[in-house]
Amino acid sequence: MTKTHNHTAITDILGVLSRDHLQGKEEVLRLSLIALLTGGHILIEDLPGLGKTTIALALAAATGLSFGRVQCTSDLLPSDITGLSVFNREEGRFIFVPGPVFSNIVLLDEINRAMPRTQSAMLEAMEERRVTVEGVTHHLPDPFIVFATQNPSDQSGTFPLPESQLDRFLICTGIGYPPEHLEKMIIAGGGIREKIVNIAAISTTGDILSARRIVGHDVFLSEKVVSYIHAIVAATRCHSMIQTGLSTRAAISLAQAARASAFLEGRDFVAPEDVKRIAQAVCAHRLVMRSEHENVDRGGVLRAIVATIPLPLV
Amino acid sequence: MVSISSLIAILAYAIALCGITPLFPWLEIVPRSAVVIGLAAGIWQDRTRAWPVKNWMFNAAVVPVFLFYAAQFSRAQPIQPVVSILAIMLAVRLAGPKSGRYYLQSAALSLFCLASSSLFNLSPVFLLYLTVMLVLVAVLMVLLTFYSQDSGMSLPPGDYRKVLAAGLLMPVVSLPLLVLFFPLLPRTPLPLWNFMVVPTTRSAGFGDSVEPGRSQSIGESRVLAFRAEMPRQSQSQLYWRGAVFSKPKGTSWERSAAPAEEVMYPRRLVTQTIYPEPGSSRALLALDAPGRISLTRSKRSPDGTYEWLGPAGRRLTYSAGSVVTGILPTRGGIDRDFYLKLPEKLSPRIRELAGTIRSQAPSDAGRLEKLELFFRNGGFSYSRQGLPTGEHALELFLFESRQGHCEFFASSFALLLRSAGVPSRVVGGYLGGEYNDLGGYYLVIEDMAHAWVEAYIEGKGWVRIDPSSFAANAGTVWGGAHAQSPMLRLRLMLDSLDHSWNRMVITYDSDRQVEAALNAGRRFQGIKVSGFLSAAIPYLLLLFLVAGISAMFVFRSRIFISREERLLRRFYRQIEREYDLPVQRGKQGLFEIVAASGNPGVRAFVDIYAGAVYRDRKLTDDEYEQLLLIMRQKFRETPS
Repeated sequence: MTKTHNHTAITDILGVLSRDHLQGKEEVLRLSLIALLTGGHILIEDLPGLGKTTIALALAAATGLSFGRVQCTSDLLPSDITGLSVFNREEGRFIFVPGPVFSNIVLLDEINRAMPRTQSAMLEAMEERRVTVEGVTHHLPDPFIVFATQNPSDQSGTFPLPESQLDRFLICTGIGYPPEHLEKMIIAGGGIREKIVNIAAISTTGDILSARRIVGHDVFLSEKVVSYIHAIVAATRCHSMIQTGLSTRAAISLAQAARASAFLEGRDFVAPEDVKRIAQAVCAHRLVMRSEHENVDRGGVLRAIVATIPLPLV
Repeated sequence: MVSISSLIAILAYAIALCGITPLFPWLEIVPRSAVVIGLAAGIWQDRTRAWPVKNWMFNAAVVPVFLFYAAQFSRAQPIQPVVSILAIMLAVRLAGPKSGRYYLQSAALSLFCLASSSLFNLSPVFLLYLTVMLVLVAVLMVLLTFYSQDSGMSLPPGDYRKVLAAGLLMPVVSLPLLVLFFPLLPRTPLPLWNFMVVPTTRSAGFGDSVEPGRSQSIGESRVLAFRAEMPRQSQSQLYWRGAVFSKPKGTSWERSAAPAEEVMYPRRLVTQTIYPEPGSSRALLALDAPGRISLTRSKRSPDGTYEWLGPAGRRLTYSAGSVVTGILPTRGGIDRDFYLKLPEKLSPRIRELAGTIRSQAPSDAGRLEKLELFFRNGGFSYSRQGLPTGEHALELFLFESRQGHCEFFASSFALLLRSAGVPSRVVGGYLGGEYNDLGGYYLVIEDMAHAWVEAYIEGKGWVRIDPSSFAANAGTVWGGAHAQSPMLRLRLMLDSLDHSWNRMVITYDSDRQVEAALNAGRRFQGIKVSGFLSAAIPYLLLLFLVAGISAMFVFRSRIFISREERLLRRFYRQIEREYDLPVQRGKQGLFEIVAASGNPGVRAFVDIYAGAVYRDRKLTDDEYEQLLLIMRQKFRETPS
């Protein structure tokens, strides 16, 4: 495939960010870009202070997209996210004041602290890409991506997301501690939150939209890879430790994410390795384990399943 | 863990034993002792790990031995010098210090020794030795390749199993091919295996003259004389005619050219196939009396016997048709004078007895009857010990000791008949036979050699009389049917194995090949099928054909691997070779291999290959050529 302008613009984001600003976060950045390119959302499950917000900010800066942030608490109301109509005394009528959800990149910090009603409103907005306030439907901007974070270890006073809502996130991933030498460098250099604001935009909205079109239409998904995806999905449905296997939506998501991954690799066809590489991030959080295996690491189970399925090579 | 070097040493000795054992009985004393000493010295030195005599000394010492045996070589004795030098060279290799090269030499010499043993004797055991040797040599070869890399190496047991499996695989694969090709490959008119076989002389049994009174006793000989493939016959009819002795000389009878006479054989003959053991005798044996023997270069003599005119000592096969009634009618008369000739010196007591018989009965038949009575009532007994000897042996037998073997009975009976004026002759051959149900043939051993008498009775022809049957103890000697002991049954079983070996392998020549092909053709044509079935056969064949083709089509991906698959396998092999990376086939993606190797050549290959495969299309010819080119250049050498 000839490397198009779009492709270089997108991979440059990955290159510049992981080289200059976010060392050791390349995988999360990649997954974020995949979510961005497929129109999905991403849930980051990790401890505070590992750079969740920084990643979202950096991505917004590098892509030149608008950024909104919501810190979820148990008294957060749906209207705090979506926005509300206020009476404008000068004009003598109600005007709609859009909430933080009307940004291209929305960071939902600690989503499990919000009460289910707010979660539900947010997730509906994620799915529908529009918000209806007082009978008026407002379309969300495009591209639209939600960075949700939750703290897995902090359980008191939280409302864990139900499985049906977890399914709405294309990708669920952790960040992990940076490697020793990078962490030392970060300690020495101090936080980079301030510098991030100054990152110059590398691509435009147009670049992202056209890249998204390429991912959706021009990256070839062969029958062999489709069969491979199906084999993975089917295998999760008859695994002894899993109660409910992957849904068809999960399979579609896997295919889309694999396309985006192939695009980032500079290919116009999907190889089985693309599927293999993002399978854990896309699928693990959707598995519903049997109650006796509730605490088993789902990522490990999924990796084991994928390892049993032979790659189509001929 | 056993180290490779000791295993190789053991294998080399085993191979040497395997090669020399079949040859050993045929060696002369010098090479024989050289082999024993060489083997013992080799094993002893291997144990002590000291090799005082160097190989160059051995090589130098062999040169005069070689010259000595080369001088002995002649057309009359072509084989013995060659096998002697082979055996001595093997002994020297075993005794000398070993390296990979010398192990190979000793294995090759052992193989030559085994091959040369087939010049002396080719029995089914040869095949066994050959198979064992091929397996051992194959294993040795594999181990030697390790040994040449590192002589101190030792392998885990699992690897030895693999080596053994590789060694076994070669003979196991080749044996079915051997079975397939052996009957198909073109043959020479003479059995090739027999070509160089040294004639073996048989002892005892059936000879070229009947000489009673040669020695005081005769030994027993269980040596095989011949085998006759035929349906079971009545045991009392099993007289195997070999030669006719019609010239009396002293107490013995000799062969002589018979006067012409015409024997009338009936139309229907009992057919049999005879497999004689090679020997010095040229008489072609068959059930008494053969009317036909189909063998080129054989000659019938007027007295109803056949002779082989070709070189002696060859293994033969022929079929014969016999009349088993015991009477040979002739057309016209016979030369009575010839069959009435008496030896110059005839004992007066015999003359007197014959005179009495002659006077008692006027006709030949009557005289024969009288003589039979004399033998029956005379209290004669059959014996192999305490035999009369010397000039007057027959006289002593008839009137004093009255015990002797068949030659005494037959010679004296014929002599008395001639003296009494009845034309007669002595017939030599075999009596009886052990029927082998497994192979469907009679087994006749040298011990069954026998002599009997034929008398000419006017109006009947030549009548067979067995004077030995008049002995008082005849019943116990040829005691009818005796139970087959388990040992005998085992022997018969082994013998039928030996027989089929001779039949199928040793005497398999172009004639038999053509015969087998014709037989197969006849059998195929002989298949009678009903009208419906015969009409359906073409359709059935077509159905089978279609089924076969569609099965091939359905399983084509298993039968014919695609071009892509072939390429991929080659790619894997090359990666493994060049990068020493074990590729996990089916688990490792192509781009993962690219990342692992980090090589532009590999990347170029995978880009083209995956670009076709993961776009659901076949490789184009251009791409295929390009991929081959990339692989031919070696990935490591591809410029980045």
